[in-house]
Amino acid sequence: MVKIKYVLIPLMLIAAGIGAWFTLSQNEEKKIKKQFRLLSEGISKKEGENIFTMDQKIKKMGALFDDICEIHLPAYSVSGHLTREEIIGYAARGRLHAKELHMKTHDLKIHIPEEGNAQAHLTVRLIGRLTTGETIQEAHEMVCFLKKKEKQWLLTRVEVVEVLKR
Amino acid sequence: MNFQKRIRQFLLPSLTPSFFIRLGSIALCSYLIFGYLLIPLRIQGKSMAPTYEDGAFNFCWRLRYLFSEPKRGDVVVIRFAGQKVMLLKRVVALENEGVEFRNGTLLIDGKAIEEPYVRSPYDWTLPPRRVEPRSVYVVGDNRSGPMQNHAFGQVSITRILGSPLW
Repeated sequence: MVKIKYVLIPLMLIAAGIGAWFTLSQNEEKKIKKQFRLLSEGISKKEGENIFTMDQKIKKMGALFDDICEIHLPAYSVSGHLTREEIIGYAARGRLHAKELHMKTHDLKIHIPEEGNAQAHLTVRLIGRLTTGETIQEAHEMVCFLKKKEKQWLLTRVEVVEVLKR
Repeated sequence: MNFQKRIRQFLLPSLTPSFFIRLGSIALCSYLIFGYLLIPLRIQGKSMAPTYEDGAFNFCWRLRYLFSEPKRGDVVVIRFAGQKVMLLKRVVALENEGVEFRNGTLLIDGKAIEEPYVRSPYDWTLPPRRVEPRSVYVVGDNRSGPMQNHAFGQVSITRILGSPLW
């Protein structure tokens, strides 16, 4: 009976440890997922959006990026190390061309190799209409790197996976 | 009378254990077949017209390249983004081959290739390039309009999911 007790206690401690690690890592994943949800909200635009709403959204979106973020979006001819202000500028200009725009994320897979660093793999869908009347219907596979700074997960690298190389 | 009874039993089956076993088996088989072997596809866009028209329905046959590699002329389904967005393209060049377009003619290792599936004339010119190992070069059948508006290029064989069923 004594022997069983000595086996059970370490097993319970290990189970508690695994449970705690799983819960904590889940929390971090939830926080990262929230960042992508905010990014989608920031990029999305309803028809007839006023300047005040646009300004608020763009500012909120800018707060999701690190001071300097490496961006590789060859489809939009944007590439390099950009400051938060430059990213905001690109996003604002991009949104101006759209009458309405909806960004949705799918298949989000988050990997946290070490504390404070995360890698996210996801599919981004953009659906909407340009001011010229053309429809927007795009899908991209993306890899994003995030860093935790002052309890906030910030995007440090955003890259579109190039499936077809000319 | 017997026939009526059979019809009633078919439309309103008795909820016996064997009924639930049959129902479960059908659901499991459907999930495995349509989730992993024959993935339903709805074609969006005209890049493979007239071979595959916009809005057409098909299945991706996943076992097509289980024991073989894609060949020139094969139409393949490519995983583009996540698990839901796929591309339908035709293989025009294989690994280590040189591919080039000259005034609307496809050249493989410098030799002009006849493409009966391309119905409309086009005027693409693309300088020669070599296909990387474990990759194939894919292009759509519809080559009307400027080359810049088309998605084509070399893709890793690992991204090829299969071929359309018909």
